[in-house]
Amino acid sequence: MTRGASKSGARVAASKGVAFTKSPVLAVRLPDWRSRMVLFVLFASFAALGARAVWLQGVSNQFLQSQGKSRYERTLELPATRGRILDRNGAVLATSLPVRAVWAIPEDVLASPPEKITALAKLLGMPEADIRKKLDSDRTFVYLKRQVEMPVIAEIEKLKINGLDTRKEYKRFYPQGEVVTHLVGFTNVEDKGQEGMELQHQKTLMGVPGSRRVIKDRLGHIAEDLGMFREPHQGRDLTLSVDSKLQYIAFTSIKNAVEKFNAKAGAAVVLDVHTGEVLALANYPTYNPNDRSKLTGEQLRNRVITDTFEPGSTIKPITIGLGLDTGRITPDTVFDNNPGWMTITGKRIRDTHNYGVQTVSGIIQKSSNIGAVKVSQRIPAQEMWEMYTKVGYGQAPRFGFPGATAGRVRPWKSWRPIEYANMAFGHGLSVSLLQMARSYMIFARNGDIIPLSFVKINEEPVGQQVISPKTAAQVRTMLESVVGPQGTASKAQVAGYRIGGKTGTAEKIVNGRYSRTNNIGYFAGIGPMSKPRFIIAVMVDDPSGALRTGGSVAAPTAADLFASALRAANVPPDSSITDIIIPEVPLEESM
Amino acid sequence: MSVKVNVFLTTLLVGCALSVVNARYQARHLLIELERLQQHAHQLDIDWDQLQLDQSRLAKNDRIEQIARAELNMAPVTPARTQYLTEGAP
Repeated sequence: MTRGASKSGARVAASKGVAFTKSPVLAVRLPDWRSRMVLFVLFASFAALGARAVWLQGVSNQFLQSQGKSRYERTLELPATRGRILDRNGAVLATSLPVRAVWAIPEDVLASPPEKITALAKLLGMPEADIRKKLDSDRTFVYLKRQVEMPVIAEIEKLKINGLDTRKEYKRFYPQGEVVTHLVGFTNVEDKGQEGMELQHQKTLMGVPGSRRVIKDRLGHIAEDLGMFREPHQGRDLTLSVDSKLQYIAFTSIKNAVEKFNAKAGAAVVLDVHTGEVLALANYPTYNPNDRSKLTGEQLRNRVITDTFEPGSTIKPITIGLGLDTGRITPDTVFDNNPGWMTITGKRIRDTHNYGVQTVSGIIQKSSNIGAVKVSQRIPAQEMWEMYTKVGYGQAPRFGFPGATAGRVRPWKSWRPIEYANMAFGHGLSVSLLQMARSYMIFARNGDIIPLSFVKINEEPVGQQVISPKTAAQVRTMLESVVGPQGTASKAQVAGYRIGGKTGTAEKIVNGRYSRTNNIGYFAGIGPMSKPRFIIAVMVDDPSGALRTGGSVAAPTAADLFASALRAANVPPDSSITDIIIPEVPLEESM
Repeated sequence: MSVKVNVFLTTLLVGCALSVVNARYQARHLLIELERLQQHAHQLDIDWDQLQLDQSRLAKNDRIEQIARAELNMAPVTPARTQYLTEGAP
């Protein structure tokens, strides 16, 4: 068939007798422009391709280059850690260590076997229901728990759960816990300071992460450094003035006092007389900065710095000091305190006992309100106000602590006579415990006052003279007599050391009135008297036992604190007395 | 003559090219090594911080006092039971 067909085809061609090349169809000439057209289109296409290539590689090359880079270049973050907080001897009070945040893609994690999720919940220390609740979300990224420590992470990674991953972050650790937390403060989960020194020095403590561009190979090794280097700024370490040992002593003394006297709260501060450094600052109740899940405002309160109170009798040495310094009185000037009360513009001021005729020294030793008022009556109000201002009362503190209060001293022009009289024994103005402690510097030092510091300093700051060295010595003698068998602070005596100080008791204001039943007891003292080293101020808030005055609650606490602190600081004893005489009925100061 | 020069130059070129390859290879390896050591240094820093933290935790006064009192039966010194010596005194 095939053969036949070909034969017939050949026959047809042969019969017509026209060769292929001479076919009349081919003889038809196409117009010239068509071939040129094709040629032109071809060249135009090549030209377009060429132009595009030039455009992409030469002119508009950024897009592709950046796309390329994003496929092999990586920006590595260079970590920067928050600076540590150290005590004056270099012990760590706060440090940051790397931890991991555990996050999940809910869909994938829920698809894994239930026993794995149970194990995960156990490792994270969370109820399984909570984890499932978090996973029950439309989002594609859910934090399960942040700040998980590395050993736990290692365990979690062994579970090999799909869709579960970790992210690097830092956690702040506070090894000293509740003891020093009111001073150090704490940071939040984003590493920002929230309280105390962590907040105050946020800028210097904070680290700024750097970065660098590198090319990574297929295996994830760094193949080339592209040199776009941004230096990380490591947070600077902060060395505080606080001494861990003294801090612990202060903390335990306060804690014991609050428990023993059934008080609502207590606080103590220890200052270095020579440098103005705050060596200890303790508050009770307190909290653990490592676990702040059940934090209340009461625990957070820093009663030394942010609370103010009426200083009560602890202000009397300031009043008397000014009187002595201006030559209006001498330690032996006699005042008649009979009959134990006095009236000023119709208002009555009283002492707890009738102290009769007393010298200025006696007024301090017995803490006579009437005596203090009589001294203040010799001093113009303006001079008194200037004195308060010089010792820092009512002045905004400059030591740099968040939330530090200035206290309140009204301008002297608005003082009515009864108000001025009340101020002489510490009513009608308010100060913080720290201000109170600092004002005693004029006696502990030779009449000058220096700024306080929460950060370790190496040289003694320049003081501002407030009273003469002679007056300071006179008041020191009086303060020492207060801490003696005949004084109101007989319970502040310390075996082996000479201590001087002044007690105070202020009635708390409840519902706008002075309360007879709620009060605060204070003691502000200096020791050892032969060569003052520490100023210690103690406050016991609302003691509700049988003992309630400053002399019976704050003074023994301060004695405890002085005894341990002086011994811990290797201060040689300046008194041979090892037996303490406390009268059976110690003298109580007036309120 | 010119053939010899060509062969010589080609050999030189190939030699240079190979040494460039080698140098790049070495550089890359050293970089990886550097990277690894920097990682190690960073890890050591972290360990150091961790150890200091542990030290601070273990040296916590509270803990020491408890151990001293409970396990070692120690009591604080008092001036009454302390003999003070003065340097140079007979």
